[in-house]
Amino acid sequence: MTPGPGMVGGAAAARPRRLMRTAGLSVIWLVLLLFIVYPLLILLSRAFFDGGHLTFDALFATLKSPSSLRALGNSLLLALMVGVVGTLVGLLFAFTVDRARLGSRTARLIDALTFLPLISPPFTTSIAFVFSFGPRGLITHDLLGLKNAQMYGLTSTFAAETLTYFPIAYLALRPMLASISSNFEEASFSLGGSRWHAFRTVTLPLIIPALANAFLLLFGCSLADFATPLILAGSDFSVLPTEAYLQITGMFDLKSGAILSLLLLVPAGLVFYAQERFVAGRSYVTVTGKAATATERNSVSSSARIALLTFCILTVALILYFYALLFYASVVLAFGANYTLTLEHYRVIFTEGLPAIKDTLFVAAVGMPLGGLYGILVGYLVGRTKFVGRRAMELISMLNYALPGTIVGIAYLLAFNDKPLALTGTATILIACYIFRYSPTGIRTTIALLQQIDKILEEDSASLRANSFVTFRRVMLPLILPAFFAGLGVVFIRSMTAISATIFLVSINWSLITVKILENMTEVALGPAAAFSVFVIVVVLVVTGLLNTVLRRMTAPSLRVSRIGT
Amino acid sequence: MTTPDATRVEANDRSRSSKLSRRGVLLGALASPLVFRQARAADSLKAYSIWPENYARPMLEAFEKSTGIHVNFIRFSSGEALARLIAEKGNPQVDVLFGGPVETFTAGEAQGIFEAYTPPSAAELPKRFKSTQGMWTAIADDPLVFMTNTKFLQEHNLKAPASWDDLLNPAYKGMLQMADARTSGTAVTRIFSILQVNNRNEDAGFAYMKKLRQNIQAYTKSGGGGTVPVGLGQAAGGIFFIVDALFTRQKGYDVQISFPKEGIGSAAECIGLVKGNKNTAAAKKLIDWATSADMQSLLAPAKINFLPANPKVAPDPGLVSVLKSANIIEIDDSWAGKNRKRIVDRWVAEVLNAG
Repeated sequence: MTPGPGMVGGAAAARPRRLMRTAGLSVIWLVLLLFIVYPLLILLSRAFFDGGHLTFDALFATLKSPSSLRALGNSLLLALMVGVVGTLVGLLFAFTVDRARLGSRTARLIDALTFLPLISPPFTTSIAFVFSFGPRGLITHDLLGLKNAQMYGLTSTFAAETLTYFPIAYLALRPMLASISSNFEEASFSLGGSRWHAFRTVTLPLIIPALANAFLLLFGCSLADFATPLILAGSDFSVLPTEAYLQITGMFDLKSGAILSLLLLVPAGLVFYAQERFVAGRSYVTVTGKAATATERNSVSSSARIALLTFCILTVALILYFYALLFYASVVLAFGANYTLTLEHYRVIFTEGLPAIKDTLFVAAVGMPLGGLYGILVGYLVGRTKFVGRRAMELISMLNYALPGTIVGIAYLLAFNDKPLALTGTATILIACYIFRYSPTGIRTTIALLQQIDKILEEDSASLRANSFVTFRRVMLPLILPAFFAGLGVVFIRSMTAISATIFLVSINWSLITVKILENMTEVALGPAAAFSVFVIVVVLVVTGLLNTVLRRMTAPSLRVSRIGT
Repeated sequence: MTTPDATRVEANDRSRSSKLSRRGVLLGALASPLVFRQARAADSLKAYSIWPENYARPMLEAFEKSTGIHVNFIRFSSGEALARLIAEKGNPQVDVLFGGPVETFTAGEAQGIFEAYTPPSAAELPKRFKSTQGMWTAIADDPLVFMTNTKFLQEHNLKAPASWDDLLNPAYKGMLQMADARTSGTAVTRIFSILQVNNRNEDAGFAYMKKLRQNIQAYTKSGGGGTVPVGLGQAAGGIFFIVDALFTRQKGYDVQISFPKEGIGSAAECIGLVKGNKNTAAAKKLIDWATSADMQSLLAPAKINFLPANPKVAPDPGLVSVLKSANIIEIDDSWAGKNRKRIVDRWVAEVLNAG
């Protein structure tokens, strides 16, 4: 930590402080309007204006169509299942790692392995499912001897999405659990309550904001995911994002594609609203200025510990198996046909695929710090300061995340193709798309963490005449650093792995690995697709590993200071 | 605090001389580096390719070798390429649309994304290989085939399907994969084939498709999407372009290729000049080259199983022998073009959503 710019006298500092905040707010509003509101308005005008006239005919036609309504119902069902089960699995993992007396090496191993689905390019879980389940699946046919197993539909889409997204819940919940001193559980336990009672009455209420947050994130992910249903949903279980995608890419029907995806906004908005209602008005302060001595954590009984561990190990084993399969597919000539070992696929990706690799790394590296920063700034402004339009800012910042990527992509394409801001064909449009689409994780995590931080800490700092920037930097920043790194990580990971929005934004000049993967999948070229996926996973593992190391180095002392020091 | 060095970017902090940027906080960079790639100074052009990279790349590299013109290309499926070209009409990003079934080109022609250019070879081509307005010209021909998993056939005591009705066999229930007509040119060609063998009696054709729907496991986004599942035995079979089916077999998957005795359609693979193109001379050279024997004689040596469109090029003998038993019927492209949207809409309503 470098020393701050110094503390300035209160009266003299008031004006620059206000100026600075106004400037910061203006910048944030400007980018929000430019990269979220403007493209959507362009898209809406395409959807509802016909030759200069406002018309809702297309909307009514969509609402009347039973297949659209069925797709909406399916999407909601799927998102609800993934949200609930994914959050639960994430909670179990977080609790196991934080409370079940795991060695730090085991914990780190679980961390690394649960990361895998999160850092994989789209289609990897789906492809592993195609290999494993189904009439000739390695698991259903070869292992279990089932003859007529079907693998397309709700069940496999749900399972694949849950496995892909639960680490997001884990990521969001673990810092929260870690920040709750187990002394509270301990207190309840030593007062004669059962461990379960302690968890239910002490820990659970404290993590409700985080749970709601995790659920919202997963619900949104599933609602917007088009890659998994594209491969696994089959023809009898249609969901909205895939329908909208097919409508736009296939029928060249921007209008009804846009309208289909606008239907998604309704449930996304409702969940958001419910979460606010549900969470509001409770106190979750645990990180206070008062000292809390850490004690040996003893929150779970031995049998619960074994059950939790077994569950985590089984899940992790399944994930490991999927990725072993993926790796195997990348080093054989043709999976399922010719198992001769080869490095040919890697030669292909590092020669023909090299431009895409370079472009992706550049986009991810630029987007990561910008996205992380944007995440905590918006999170801090929304979660900790008061200004007119605060709620609007919060909502708008979530929009690109809640909307299916297809719509965001098409909106960007339409908005930035012409003057005044002709960005198509540049890296900027890709970077902007990733930042504004994937920073909400950082924003939500920041807000959730802030809800746990006692405001008094901040007031102390302010009463010591530190200006708000100093307060933010010296007091808040160390506390919300985990959120910053979560945001950083997610933007980087998504820049390496997401496809739904950017498939419309890649250009001759700037291509992306994920688009190459999709392309290879449709070309009967599973080998290069698998090799690309393995490469992405390795890069992301290395980068997130580095981030975690940096985070540990940086937060350990400062958190200790702010927890203990008064 | 500092941000990780590895990710430091060239921040454009013209507006922020404040403490913020001094402290390495990259707020100024939120204004974003407007990164443009240097355009190639040398002779070059840009193209969207609907042909997969492993078909397009060897061709376009050969073009560069023989003319010195570099083709900067990116691959999209037909629906995506078309949606892009339409969206980019005001600010076209490419000069040429390379490869892809004729129905994509007729749809694009209706959207006004092409500029007329008739290459010299067009004179030698039959009518179905060129647009009357000169908006596109064929570079290859690609018949549809039935492709089935050999092991599946053996286990169910079936012969490779030799009639459209063979695909209705309950043994295939929930086991066929074929492309979705919303995204795939393969699917549209398939549907017009079915209508054609039913003498364009649409009700009869749709009645057949609705029956076939019972045996469908999944409709895939791209035309070749079902080839690997069929190769693996996860699906029993499907209807694909011959180029994808033979490629699956070349990869080593044990699959059968067969044809319905009633006949099956074929799609011309085309090339077209994009309206508003910026490298006209180079683009026209590519179109001349691709429509002539110069390119099409390279298909067979590269093991790319398209039939040449140019009559001067003899098709690969191996391909000819596969097609020996085939009854390839002609689809009336102008009728298909005019009715495409209506037929696809009807397919979505009556077949796809009937499941």
